[in-house]
Parts: sequence; C-alpha cells; structure tokens
Amino acid sequence: MIDRRLFFNVDWVLVGSALVVSAIGAAVILSATHGGRSAGAEVKQLYALLVGVVGMLVVLTLDYRRLADRAPLLYLAAAGALAYVLFFGPRIAGTRRWLLVGGMQLQPSEFAKLAAALLVAKVFSESRKESLGLGDVLVPGAALGVLALLIAAEPDLGTAVCLVPMFLTVAFLAGLRMRAVVALCAVLAVAGGIGWQFALQEYQKTRVYTFLDPSLDPRGAGYQKIQSQIAVGSGGLTGKGYRNGSQSQLGYLPARHTDFIFSVLAEEMGFVGVAVVLALYLLVLWRALEAAQLARDRVGAFLAAAIAATLAFQVVYNVAMVAGLVPVKGLPLPFMSYGGSSIVSSFLGLGLVLNVRMRRFAN
Amino acid sequence: MRIYEDLRVVQARLGVVQSMVVALVVLLTVSFWNLQVLKGRYYRTLAETNRSRPVPIAAPRGALLDRDGRILVENRPSFNVVLTPEHSEDLDGAIARLGRVLGMGEAQIRERVVRSAPPFGSVVVKVDASPEDVAALDARRLELPEVSIEVVPLRSYPLAAAAAHTLGRVGEVTERQLDSPAFAGLGPGALVGQAGIESQYNRQLMGKDGLRRVIVNSRGQEVAEADRRPPVDGPSLTLTLITDLQTAMEQAFAGKAGSAVALDPRTGDVLAMSSTPAYDPNRFTTGIEPALWSRLTGDPETPLMNRVIQGQYAPGSVFKIVIAVAGLEEGIITPTTSFYCPGYLSIYDTVFRCHKAIGHGMVNVHRALAQSCNVFIYQVGVRLEIDRIAHYARLMGLGTPTGIDLPHEAAGLVPSTQWKLRAQKAPWYAGETVSVAIGQGQTTATPLQLARLAAVVANGGRLVRPHLVKAIGGQAQEQAPPQPLGLKPQTLEVVKAGMCAVVNDHGTGWRARLSEIEVCGKTGSAQVVARARLQRNASNPLMQPHGWFVCFAPADEPTIAMAVLVEHGVGGASSAAPVAREILVRYFGTAIPAPAPSAAPSPRPLRAAVEREGAT
Repeated sequence: MIDRRLFFNVDWVLVGSALVVSAIGAAVILSATHGGRSAGAEVKQLYALLVGVVGMLVVLTLDYRRLADRAPLLYLAAAGALAYVLFFGPRIAGTRRWLLVGGMQLQPSEFAKLAAALLVAKVFSESRKESLGLGDVLVPGAALGVLALLIAAEPDLGTAVCLVPMFLTVAFLAGLRMRAVVALCAVLAVAGGIGWQFALQEYQKTRVYTFLDPSLDPRGAGYQKIQSQIAVGSGGLTGKGYRNGSQSQLGYLPARHTDFIFSVLAEEMGFVGVAVVLALYLLVLWRALEAAQLARDRVGAFLAAAIAATLAFQVVYNVAMVAGLVPVKGLPLPFMSYGGSSIVSSFLGLGLVLNVRMRRFAN
Repeated sequence: MRIYEDLRVVQARLGVVQSMVVALVVLLTVSFWNLQVLKGRYYRTLAETNRSRPVPIAAPRGALLDRDGRILVENRPSFNVVLTPEHSEDLDGAIARLGRVLGMGEAQIRERVVRSAPPFGSVVVKVDASPEDVAALDARRLELPEVSIEVVPLRSYPLAAAAAHTLGRVGEVTERQLDSPAFAGLGPGALVGQAGIESQYNRQLMGKDGLRRVIVNSRGQEVAEADRRPPVDGPSLTLTLITDLQTAMEQAFAGKAGSAVALDPRTGDVLAMSSTPAYDPNRFTTGIEPALWSRLTGDPETPLMNRVIQGQYAPGSVFKIVIAVAGLEEGIITPTTSFYCPGYLSIYDTVFRCHKAIGHGMVNVHRALAQSCNVFIYQVGVRLEIDRIAHYARLMGLGTPTGIDLPHEAAGLVPSTQWKLRAQKAPWYAGETVSVAIGQGQTTATPLQLARLAAVVANGGRLVRPHLVKAIGGQAQEQAPPQPLGLKPQTLEVVKAGMCAVVNDHGTGWRARLSEIEVCGKTGSAQVVARARLQRNASNPLMQPHGWFVCFAPADEPTIAMAVLVEHGVGGASSAAPVAREILVRYFGTAIPAPAPSAAPSPRPLRAAVEREGAT
C-alpha cells in the first residue's frame, strides 16, 4: 500500500518545528492552569498531540490524490456533522459546537476545515483555464460559504472566517485574474457589511467597538484586550519567568490556556520567547508553502497552500489579537492553544502537506 | 500515466503568498518588540498596579484620659463588612446573598456600592457588625468570595453624654474639610474629629496610618503581602478634667438646661465642663443616622452647642465684680465709700430700680456686692463712664476669646463708645452706662469668661488661660503662665471679702454655703427680654432670665473657680447657687447638709425680689 522509500521524503524539519511548538504550548498550558480549575490540561493536550501525530501518520499512508477524489464525500460528511451539532449538539456556554463521541467532545468545525481544503483543491485543479473570472469561482465559493455559514451559526465566527483566506489563496493560485481578486475582496467586504448589520450578535459588535476604544468598557469586552496587552508588554525582553507572570498567575488574563495562550508565553518568556516561537511558526508555514511549490500537480499545490493559508491566518490573527492589534475573536492558536480538536486537526493538516511533498516524485 | 501539469503560474503566485506570510510575521515581531521592549516599562507599571493594591492600616486614634489617667475616650475593636465589587462574577447575586445574611435590604447595599465604590476598590457595607453577622459571613466565605471582614478600631465614649461637648466626637471627613489644608493627605471616608478636643487635636490624635501593599488576584482577593509600613499610633491625651467632678456636674444639671465650668484658678486647668442638653457621641462614630442628625440640629435647645464657650449671655450682677474692681482701682470709691440706696436711682431723666424696692439704705462696696445693690453700682458706674468700664472688663478677660484649646469659641461683647460708633454708627448715651454697670444692655459673656473672672479675684489678680490638655503622649504641655493684671492687693481683698459675704454673711448666694469650706461667690441674672415684656408674659418660661452663679473656694487658698448658668432659671440665687453647691460638695468630698433657709438675709422670698427687678 505504501512505498517505504516515501518516508525518506517526509519533511522532518516541518514535523520537528510543529512538535517543538506543541511541546512549548503544553508547557505554557501547564503554567497557565496549574492549581486552577483546568489543572492537568497539559496532560490532555499531550494525549491529543499523540492522537494527532498518529492521525498524521495515517494520513501519510493515503495518497492525497485519492483523498482529493473523495473530497465531495468528505465535504458532505462535514456539512452533515455541522448541521447535526447545530440542531442536536449539546449547548455549552451558549454555543453548539461540539459532538459527543464516546465521552469525548469533538469540534466538527476543526475537521470541516480539512474537508474544505480538499474540496477547493480538487475543484480548482479541475479547471484547465489559464485565468479565471468571477464566474469560475462561484461553485467552490458557494460550497465553502455553506460550511462557513453553518460554523458561524454555532456561533463560532473565528473558525468560519478561516475559510475565507483559504478560498482566496487557492482561487488566487488557480489564476484568478487580479481584477477579479479585487472584485472578490469588494464582494466579501460588502457581505461583511451586511453580515455586520444582520448576522452579528450584539456581543460580537461590542467586541469590535471596544477594540476601537477599549476604555469604553474596561471591565467588560475591552477587558480582555487591555489585560492581554498588559501581560504582553510587561513581559519585557526576557519575561517574568516561567510560572511567574502576574497577569496570568493571578487570573487577570481570561482564556489564558486557550485563545490567549500566546500572551502567557509573552509575559513569562518575554520578547525572546515570542521571537523563538514566531520563528518556529514561520518555519512551519514556510515549509508548508514550499511543499506547495514542490508539488507535482495542481491539486497537491492547492491542497498544501490551502492548509498553509489557513494555518497562517490563524497564527497571524491570534498573535495580532494577543498584541491588541485586531479585535478579540475566539480563534485558537494552532499547535499551542489548549483543545484536542484543534491540535488533532492541525496535525492532520500537516499530514496532508507532508503527503503532497512526499509524493512529489511518485507516480 | 504521468501527467506533467504546467505549474508556472501557480508557483509564481505562491511566491507572492510566501512573501506575504513572511511580511506579516516580521510585522508581528516588530509589534511585539515595540510592545515588550520599547513600551515594556509602561506596561510593567500597569501590571504592577493591577496586582498590587495599597491597603491603609488605620492608626488607632489616641485615647483621652482624665488628669488621673482614667479613660474618657478609647477605641474598641469592631468589625466592618467589606464588599469588593471588582471581578465579582455575579455582583447582583452576591448583593442578594449578602443582604439575606446581614438582614439588610438589597437596595440599601446597592446604594452604598453605587455611591462610594471607586472603580477598583471596595465598599464598607456595614460598620460595627455584630459577632453574629461575622460568624454567619465566615460560614459562607466560599459563597461570598467578594466579601471580607475588616477589624477596625472604633471610637468609644464610655461616659456617653458626659463631657460630650468638651471631648467632642468623630465623623467622616466632609468634602469641605478635604479641601482645606488642615486635612491634607486624607481621603474620603477618613474618620476625623468633628467637635471638641477630638477636632482641636485631630492631627495629633490621628497618628500616622500605616500601609500594606498586598498582591491581589483578579477577583480582588489578597494572596500575599508585598510590604508593610506599620502605623504610628496616635498619642493619648491627658486632660485636666476630673472625671468625678465632671459626673457630679452632669448630675447637678439633671433636667435643666445650662452649663458650668470649673477651673483651677492657679493654673487655668479646666477641672470640669458641662453643657446641657448634650448628646451621645457614640452615635456619631458609626455614621450618624440622618433622622437623629436633623433632630439634633433642629432642636431649639441646641444640644450640639457647647454653651460654656459658645453661649453668650448678659453677665447680670456678676458684672458688679468688674465695677467694684474698676471703682477701687480708679479711686472713685474707697472701701468705706457709701451711697444711699432708696430702692432706685433717678438719673438722666430715668428711674433705675434696685431689686430691693424698699432700698438697702447706706451701702458700701462690701454690702453692695453681698446684697447685690444696684444703686451703689449705678453710682460707681456713672462716675467711671463707659470707656473705663470697658477697659476693666477687657482687662479681666471679657470681650475676647479666652484662648482655650477648643474650636469655635465665642468672644462675648464689651460695649464702649468706639464700639457703638463702629457697630451702630451712633454716639454713646450716658444713660446706657447705667444698665451696662449691672451687666445688662449689650454686654455679653460666656460662662468660661465669667469663671475666669472669678479666678482673677481668687488668685490675686492674675488672668489665667483656660486649657484642657495637660500632656500629649505623656509629654507635659507647656502652659502660658497666668498674666498679672497689676491690680492693687487691697482692691482684690475688698472684692474677695464682698464675694465671701455673698455666700456667708447675709448675701444673695447663701444657698451655696458649705459648713466647713468658705465659699465666695456672686449671683446674677441675665435678662432674656426687656423687663416690661417679661411682666406681660410672666408665665412664659422661655422669657425668664438666666440664673448665674460664679464662685471660688476655699476663700483663703482657692483651688477651684467656677461659673454656673441655669437657663431660664430666673434668679442666680435660687437656681444656679444650689447647683454650684452640689458640685462643690462633690469636689471637696464633704457631704454637708443643706443650709437652713433661716440663714436667709431677707425675710422676703427671693423670687418676689426677682420679679421686681432683673438684676439680683
């Protein structure tokens, strides 16, 4: 089933960087949660990491082209799962995001991203035109739009928005004309505006307003941004030391082991820690895009690029959010934020990227 | 089958994506450099103010002791229930639960939170909580993490209303006070003296608050202490008061409005000082209820006023001491000079009456004082003229504050030609001098001033400066020495003998007589309304004159000088002298039977005499 020689072509630098970032992530989770309500989260995170790595290896055994061929099926399964949680999933903290499988909480939206990546790669690779117009992206756009709406309805705006850069990147690579790129951005902006008016929940609007002026509500929605900025800024060059950040240890930072994990790192490890982890992320993203460069066919290039674009968006947005540069949105930091579905899905995604690179010479 | 696709466009565009990713990561790195390295110091101070909070440690206010070290005012530990709204996950729920435990209305707690909570601070929900409340809250500590109990010293006045005006009271600093330099460095909610000694010596009594810097978590709970500067306790103040004499004075005034003050004539030590009606300063320490406050401020009997230093009354016949001294000093009379008293004096086209309608006959200065003859004093006063009278009145301490260490002392008034020109833009009429001579007219004085006047006669002609604080923190306070007034010894001897006769030799003050101790004194009554109006409203108690009695004892070596004023007591002889006697009995520790009325100088009841003429 699998040629053993293929393993020589696995990108160990990419795997290694991702594992190092994940290990740092687990250590920061430990610092952020010890002695609290979520104590022991780093152990669960390591189990999820193990599952993710095994899943990644399983993905390696399957040819990405076979997977891409089954993209419509996977897409339907993902859409079905999303629709199911929306109607029948348990309500946790006001949202329906989870599927209970054997006592575990799974987040279908994390896996829907992979199905979406396979689908866009497949659909765009089948177009043989030199350059694409707006009409050519309508079908894949609509397909991803359905997924995005289902995820946004949970509500999980952050994950839904991840599909946008994925779609734009692949459409751009597939030869979408620059005029169309501009037009598409305009369409998305208008759609965003309409969504702002009608689809956004009040709390989401408040978040944007308080981002623009956090002092509007320092104890409320602006609180997260202010506290995160204080945590990051007070970390200084070398940080306050592991488990020594006053902002994280005394509970001023909200969601400190999930969405705001990076501000714990920034507070306790300082700019040095930030620079090291950002360098590792850059390495991961660079190698993933390199895999797209090296891909032997369009579907491989598109698949690797779709995964890389999504990861890049999540990393850049989350880190920018922690620094207070963009509005607070519930978006996990890949490899570092606590969350089983996120870490497994990230490693499965890496599996797809490695898959493309590994089979660049194969038949 | 091997299909080679044309990937050139894809690869070229991938290059664009790669550059974008690199650019974004570089941009982020620069942002973090800016945030962490360039602005690090700023955010470090923010993090520091986030986590550490200054918590003042209240310095215990200094105690007040009497001259023998007995406690007059002290602090007792009390419990405050404190709510920290910051980071309360469910403030409404917490307020509801707290209300149930304390038996307080939710609205009441919410109002306190809204009114006084600084954005990042805590609010005292209940002061002086009972041990039951504290136990109940302690048992629910986990349900109410935002509630804590603070142990704070609370001011306690074991004598309750006794000496209330002298000791004063404490209360929260007012906004007006916060603006004044005397209260610099204090914050809202600070407890400061609001009257009496508590106010006068506030700075010393407060000591210096200490400060704890504590590390708090995001729910405002203290997790550690960063450092601590201990408070400097307020020193205790030793007062000149004698507690037993003070209580005796309060008891002597039971049911009467008025005031009394006793001085040591040799030093000016205030031995006791009382003003009735009074109030219980304990009611102020935990924040006075608005209803009680408006009752106290609206009461026509002015319980908040310290009558001893703020009550300004006509001195009445007590002023005859001043006239006698002035007449003797100026050579207008000698001890043997006599005037004939037919019961009135007709002068300046007016008839001025003596209180004894049938007249005293031939009267010298000794008898004039003893029996309070108006006509003799009229004669001397007219010869002295107003400005010489004013000079001697001022010399003996009237018309200016005594300088006692209490706030808001009144000056009283000594009229003169100059004063009348300035205040009323009118010349002085000689006829007015006649009433001034017997202490009516515009002349006013405080009980403290008249006690000091008695002390001048008692101590051989020296003006003392009354004071209440003997020592601060065990350190004796330097006192201004008594000022010699340069009066002739003979003058003082004659006046003293006259005052002794007031009590002991057919005088008006016989009701103050003690069998073993020779008391010297002078009665007086201060008209509240003109005599004609009083006659029309003879039954209105509020129009009755005030009764005065000033005295000192023992006659040869006086150790106490005192002024007693009984409001609307009619005559000093009947109202104030018995009160003075009761106090003197306790002072000298002698239980002496009351003197028999048969010792009265006049067969006529005094009351009838009073109705005839105001001054007795």
